[in-house]
Amino acid sequence: MLTADLARSRRRGETVTPLFIDPDDDQYRDTAATLIDLFEDHLGESKGELEERIDQLTISDTDYKVVQGLAKLLTDECEFATVAAADPREIRQQLYEKANESYPVVRQPTLGEDTRQLEVYSAVADRLGISLEACYRGMYADLEDNKRLVRFGDHSSDAHEGAGASQTTTRLTGDSEESYAEDAISVDWLLTRYNLALAQAVLYDATRMRIRVWDHFNTVFSYVKLFGLMHRIYPIDGDGTRVPNTDVADGYEAILDGPASLFSQSRKYGIRMANFLPALPLCNRWEMHAEVLDEEGPTETTLSFELDHTDGLSSHYTARSDFDSDVERTLAQKWDRSTTDWELIHEDDVLDLGAEVMIPDFALEHPDGRRAILEIVGFWTPEYLDEKLAKIRDADLDHLLLAVSERLECSADDFDGASDRVLWFKSGIHVYDVVELAETHALKERHPDQKR
Amino acid sequence: MRIAFDDGTLLLEDAPENVPYADWDDRVDEYRARAHHYRALREWATSADGQATLDEAAPTVDSVEDTARAYSDLDLTPAVAIEPRDYQQAALAAWTDHDRRGSVVLPTGSGKTFLAVQAIANAGVSALVVVPTIDLMNQWHATLTNAFGDQLLDSVGVLGGGNHNVTDITVTTYDSAYRYINEYGDQFGLLVVDEVHHLPAPTYQQIPEMTIAPYRLGLTATYERADGQHEVLEELIGPVVYEENVDELAGEYLSEYETLHLQVDLTPDEREQYDEEYQLYRDYVDSHDFDIWNEQGYAEFLKRTSYDSHGRRALIAKQRAEEIARTAAKKLDTLDNLLKRHYDDRTIIFTANNDFAYDISQEFVVPCITHQTQTDERTAILERFRTGEYSMLVTSQVLDEGIDVPAANVGIILSGSASKRQYAQRLGRILRPTEDREPARLYEIIAEETMERYVSERRRQGVTANADG
Repeated sequence: MLTADLARSRRRGETVTPLFIDPDDDQYRDTAATLIDLFEDHLGESKGELEERIDQLTISDTDYKVVQGLAKLLTDECEFATVAAADPREIRQQLYEKANESYPVVRQPTLGEDTRQLEVYSAVADRLGISLEACYRGMYADLEDNKRLVRFGDHSSDAHEGAGASQTTTRLTGDSEESYAEDAISVDWLLTRYNLALAQAVLYDATRMRIRVWDHFNTVFSYVKLFGLMHRIYPIDGDGTRVPNTDVADGYEAILDGPASLFSQSRKYGIRMANFLPALPLCNRWEMHAEVLDEEGPTETTLSFELDHTDGLSSHYTARSDFDSDVERTLAQKWDRSTTDWELIHEDDVLDLGAEVMIPDFALEHPDGRRAILEIVGFWTPEYLDEKLAKIRDADLDHLLLAVSERLECSADDFDGASDRVLWFKSGIHVYDVVELAETHALKERHPDQKR
Repeated sequence: MRIAFDDGTLLLEDAPENVPYADWDDRVDEYRARAHHYRALREWATSADGQATLDEAAPTVDSVEDTARAYSDLDLTPAVAIEPRDYQQAALAAWTDHDRRGSVVLPTGSGKTFLAVQAIANAGVSALVVVPTIDLMNQWHATLTNAFGDQLLDSVGVLGGGNHNVTDITVTTYDSAYRYINEYGDQFGLLVVDEVHHLPAPTYQQIPEMTIAPYRLGLTATYERADGQHEVLEELIGPVVYEENVDELAGEYLSEYETLHLQVDLTPDEREQYDEEYQLYRDYVDSHDFDIWNEQGYAEFLKRTSYDSHGRRALIAKQRAEEIARTAAKKLDTLDNLLKRHYDDRTIIFTANNDFAYDISQEFVVPCITHQTQTDERTAILERFRTGEYSMLVTSQVLDEGIDVPAANVGIILSGSASKRQYAQRLGRILRPTEDREPARLYEIIAEETMERYVSERRRQGVTANADG
């Protein structure tokens, strides 16, 4: 992501808008291409030299914020490492000690007994069993500027491959930690990421975010949870108007903020909202409205910031696929081949359990109007399952069934809070086990054959 | 009722309806309170047990399960064998009398750090020290390591400046504390805030709000804020419990030294480059009506550089010219001579930029400290300088405040920033005549006929003006 000083936005009245760039503009395409080449050419070189070259690109360019911003996003894809023949701290400590015995260490000896720096370096190099040059260059090899670019995107420097244990590696920024589809770095990739990053930067000072989504609920709410945001959820219709219950909902509205937002506006969660933003372009249809604190001027004002699916943003996050796991896909296939009146429907109701939402994997519906919902739990701990069951009890969801994998080491035997709504399975789920459970727990929700 | 720490707040599970300090959180269907009410909430909940029930407002809490507190009790004795000064003792007593909550106002250079060390030992719980800058963070780390290092299971923790190591006694910057306090707000029983007058800002204010620490200590030389925001501090830290007047301490620790100004020429190459870049800059400034030597005119110039490409080039020309003057090759020759003369003394060399400090460190093999130096290495180098194991030091940092800065009798300024305050502090800090030697000495090496001369003049005027006032 961009640092705050590289943000570019315009304030007009009560609204704030990022200054997006046109990814088809030749000037920006040239700049992006030049920068990508620069990074590729600097594999194995020092970070200081790379930064120097980037600075040179901005010398007579008043768009230097764009250049620096693009460079920042490329730097996020880099790995820099200390490359030295011995631990730099050890090298310099020995040098300091050696020199202290022999001061003055001089450039132009006036007396025979004055020490030259070369003598100090050679003595320490010999003691450490490294070359004179390695000793001199290694002394400060761990400074940020002297670290080497060892990886850029999926390119690694030759020297770094198969490198020894004396190297320590710093991975930069949180961006790369999230899972996202690993794309090759290209001009289009960079300019698209840049526009997204400009929008994220506006959110650094956001206090509250309202989103409306009409698809990919599972994906969106799993990212809400991942980034530690709290939510209030309301079902909405196709126009975005709130509706009384999920049965008649076409989409969901969620108000996102954090724990302390209960007491006062807090921009503490702005960074979380910025991290969350790339989840939205995974939806086909979405809207976002954020309240952003503006400190310029004597009093704080709240600006509004709006985005939706027509703004041309795209995401580098991974979407949850329709059938997330093999288990789900297999169950759906088995169901098609079976002969039961119960229908297995891929489900996207959002159940609000307070601190988190649950989006069950399937609904089971019988022609007579009975209905149950099914969630498949693949990975779990006893604590996780206990907590989950407690939440389900609290939410009065008596028709919710859990299919829990026994493949893990701690299985049914270790789990005390077993419930008759839990179906244990080993390699796959059997259709008739689910049907049996549905017969016991399903609720009569609708009139027979009434279409939802 | 169960009190739990949740992401910088307190979640009050199964709380009665009359629970104070709390709001109903419909997102999770429980009461929630700000973390800084932890102490008051505990007092409210426990007073319920023993008290008569005549009071209608008396809480109806049967038992309190406290899972919020994650800090430990510590038994520490400061290893610093200095007797606290009278006013330090009085300040500590005033603070403990106020239930270990509140701010102490002491003038700069009066040993605020030392007071904090006493307070940490007195409180006997894990402590988080929050300071404004990375420089100060490093200094506090050195001081706290001196005082408690041997008594702690882990070393003194550092959160900020690329370090992320949280232990029972941890130092952090305002910025890092703001960023991480929701994660660590339950792990400290004492919150120490240095330069506490900076705290009343919407962001930083959340540092005390999101910590449960029942004990709090604010330190500053200037408590009042023009905007009246210091009232916020009363709520979050406590009242001013002790104040020492500036006049009573001023002048007490000034030391005497003589100053020598040395000028060097630029080499012909440097001169040519310098003149070229400087001309570029002058031409631009002269073709516009900036009064570049006053603050407003300079701000106007800077503003233009953000949209005028000639202006941007002019700014870069100025920076390059300054760099040439700052790192003039002959300065190293002069330094060479000075080091020959003073190899037996305790010498600190100052530079205004990191690169130059490292150049000197490599050229003359001198231990080096910049703000890139890792906190623990910095502490180790200063300690070795203090004990005499190292006799020289080159640094690009202002070594001010705190009791950790070892004394030197020779100072060499190779390039300084134009800040008067910084300059004066540097002088005051480092120079102490050693008992059996001639007075301390400060050299300033500057390049002839460059902007540096102007800066140097201005700097000296600033110091004189201060001394007169």
